[in-house]
Amino acid sequence: MHHANHFYGHAHVLARYCGLGDGHPPRIDGYVQHGWNIGDGLAPGHPYVEGTPSLLWSEQTRRRAWSVGRRNVTVIGAPFAYLLALRAADPPAAERTGTIWYPFHGWEGQRVRGDHRELIARIRDTEPGPVTVCLYWHEYGMRRIRQLYERAGFRVVCHGYRGHWWRDTDPSFLDNQLTELRRHRRVASNRLTSAIFYGIAAGCEPAVYGDPMVLADEDPTFGGTARIRRQWPQLHGEQVDVEVATEIARAELGVEHLCRPAVLRELLGWAHHQEEPVGD
Amino acid sequence: MATETVPRVELPGGEMPAWSDRDRGHSAGGEPLAVLATRLVPAGARVLLAGPHHPTFVKRLAYAEVTCLLRALPDADALTGLGVRVVVGGVDGIDTDPGYDVVVAAAGLDPVESVEGTPLGWSAVLDRLVAALRPGGTLLLGVANPFGLSRLVDATPWYAGRDDARWAVAGVLDTDRPANLDQLLARLTAVGLRPQGTLAAYPDPVTPTALLSTGASTTRPTSGLFDAVLHAAYADRAAPPDAPLLQDPARLAVDALHAGLCAALAPGWLVVAHLPTPVDTGPDPAPVGADPDSPGAEAADVGSGRVVLPVALVEEPGPDVGVAEVYEGADGWRWRTAAPLGLSRTPDPTDGERSGVHRDPAALTGPVAEGRLLRTLLLDATVRRDLRGLRRLLTGYADWVAALAVDDLVTGAPAVAGVTNVVVSTDGGYAVLDPSRRSTGPVPTDLVLARTLRGHAADLLTGGYAHPWTSTVDANGLTVVLAGLAGRDLDRSTVADAVEWEATVTAALRGPDPACRVESAAGPTGTPVEPSGAPVPTGERVGPGDFQQLREAWRRQGEELTRLRALVAWTQDLLDHRERALRRAETKLGLLSGSLSYRLGRLAVTPLRLARRGAGAAKRQFRTAVRQHRANRERS
Repeated sequence: MHHANHFYGHAHVLARYCGLGDGHPPRIDGYVQHGWNIGDGLAPGHPYVEGTPSLLWSEQTRRRAWSVGRRNVTVIGAPFAYLLALRAADPPAAERTGTIWYPFHGWEGQRVRGDHRELIARIRDTEPGPVTVCLYWHEYGMRRIRQLYERAGFRVVCHGYRGHWWRDTDPSFLDNQLTELRRHRRVASNRLTSAIFYGIAAGCEPAVYGDPMVLADEDPTFGGTARIRRQWPQLHGEQVDVEVATEIARAELGVEHLCRPAVLRELLGWAHHQEEPVGD
Repeated sequence: MATETVPRVELPGGEMPAWSDRDRGHSAGGEPLAVLATRLVPAGARVLLAGPHHPTFVKRLAYAEVTCLLRALPDADALTGLGVRVVVGGVDGIDTDPGYDVVVAAAGLDPVESVEGTPLGWSAVLDRLVAALRPGGTLLLGVANPFGLSRLVDATPWYAGRDDARWAVAGVLDTDRPANLDQLLARLTAVGLRPQGTLAAYPDPVTPTALLSTGASTTRPTSGLFDAVLHAAYADRAAPPDAPLLQDPARLAVDALHAGLCAALAPGWLVVAHLPTPVDTGPDPAPVGADPDSPGAEAADVGSGRVVLPVALVEEPGPDVGVAEVYEGADGWRWRTAAPLGLSRTPDPTDGERSGVHRDPAALTGPVAEGRLLRTLLLDATVRRDLRGLRRLLTGYADWVAALAVDDLVTGAPAVAGVTNVVVSTDGGYAVLDPSRRSTGPVPTDLVLARTLRGHAADLLTGGYAHPWTSTVDANGLTVVLAGLAGRDLDRSTVADAVEWEATVTAALRGPDPACRVESAAGPTGTPVEPSGAPVPTGERVGPGDFQQLREAWRRQGEELTRLRALVAWTQDLLDHRERALRRAETKLGLLSGSLSYRLGRLAVTPLRLARRGAGAAKRQFRTAVRQHRANRERS
């Protein structure tokens, strides 16, 4: 299995959905798209074996991936959408309040350049209610940044560690995120990212505003933030049409392409897996 | 420092940053298409080029106010310096206000759509383009035929497309798109357009080298002009297709023409349609014939919905790109030059002298010779084993060439017009079809005849045609046989000269061939083509062997191998037989050598043999002595 399949506990969510329990998920016969992107669904720079099945979130990503030479590309929908299906019967949260705000993050190997203070001021001016800031674990661990947001009066949280090379993956990452999202009325970020789509799918009003910040060594192949703003202008701004946003989020997360458990087991190579039973 | 205008590309969203239609050969272009577009676009008109169009094509419309809508961002670079507006995005990039005078989507509607956004499909994209037209405007639309010739000869089934452009495979099963010409016209009518005319695009729907009137191609299925154009569209291509084919598309195209299916099986169609103004409530205005003396006059009529499309627009192959046009005159089809020759390079004035052949655009005028193509008539008679018909055709041709000759020398167009450029009228008269290809000097009658017949012989062998002659005859031999049917005696040295002459003519008319196909076909010294008809590349043939040709060549080689093995077995038997006879003779000799009579005879003969040997030795000694004596005397 590609180690990126474990990021954010994606493989764990899919295993639960497929009825394989909460333990260590079996090997996936392919590469599951691990974040929303405007490329071919694969993360730039990740080692990838040519021809390995790409299990993508949306039909649009599949078309794009094909056009840049990828084959064996199949749409299964986003793991987060499977989690929503798993937790569809959760008791409704108490009244949703405030905003959960996701400052844009890179991964551990990348540095984000931008002014957090300026961003904090913009959030204060914009958000009507209490604000929860969700930092990526990397920034959450940087006391200086965390304190910047805390001193601004924001509640600061982290959904967990996404894991790396199968180590320290927090299998409940997405669960934590869903729980937090359901507590808030709004979801916001300075870039259109997976979290915004997750938030919309979890019933939040979205907003994308503020300095999008600059990511060191950002791959410009697919057009970067400028292109995201051109293609999804409806999702940018402090107030966004929720109906339009919901429709887009459903498409980007591939909600209509979610597979039934038996189908997903076939597509992930779990129908006849020979590994030890799930459970460490 | 000169001030430069910074090229600006509008990005309304939905662009494909890592995609290029141009690199994949999806851009519409080619001279015939450009000529057609210039006829439809009046000066100063607002024009939308929707989908990829080649920069050369865009440049030809620079006299108008052009907006290019692309989906591939890298393709914009080639257009930004042309003084046109460039919008890169999906279908949403089409602006409808205040409306365009002409909308051109020559590459079809599929490449107008990006991978980004929600796919709309053929009909919805058409709706968007029609919405972008102002009332009274004109649409020039290219449509690939889902059951066209390209699909029929493609070795890859249409439903198994694996290349990068096939993120969705369009096929004949999709009822959202028209699957034939009638459906196409019905769709256009249904969205409020009035179709003005359609042209069949060969051989490639996006960059056709030949555009033929769909109506005329159906009503005149034996037209020598269409026959020659369709054959040349495939056979004269500068580069053969990379992919293997199922069968020879040139053969299939000509057969389709004869079956009245030239339009129905065309790889693609170009349709010109008019969007009526609200006051245009009456029936379609009667088309007005174009004035042949003022090319481009049609554009003035476009706005009124009256446009007459040409019978044919054909790109002349070779180093000098140009377009020959055939139009419907008052007294039948007539030639004219639609775009000047020599567009691709500066002509070298010594070319003609060096090659002995040149192209004279000024000769493209006057009526088009009517009749059936000599090549087709010869092939038909050959495969039917109609020796009487062949004799009549070949004799008629040889007599015609001889009648044109002065002192046994032929000049002008007939000197270089092979079987693909001569038509035979119903009353048996011979005439040159395209008079622009001419010899610069006189050519011996025998050489003209030999070149024509050698071309036909090579056609027969490399094309795998059934013929009434033995499999042991090579192309040069077959040329001599054909000449015999024409009542002429040709020797092999003349045929070898004809091979050289053919190489010269081909190089002059089509440009130098890097693969030296002509030379390799015949060998620089006239090496015969493999008699079994193995697919030796030739100047007359379409590029790589298609599966049908390969299979036929394999079958013929199998037959030849069977024949040769039988010959070897027969020779072996004969050898065995003779060896047995020799052994018998030797045994008999041995027996005879041991008999009493033999021994007695030998005793009697031996002294005589010895005496004769001694006499011979004495004679040699005497002669030597005499020579020495003479030599001594001369020295003293």
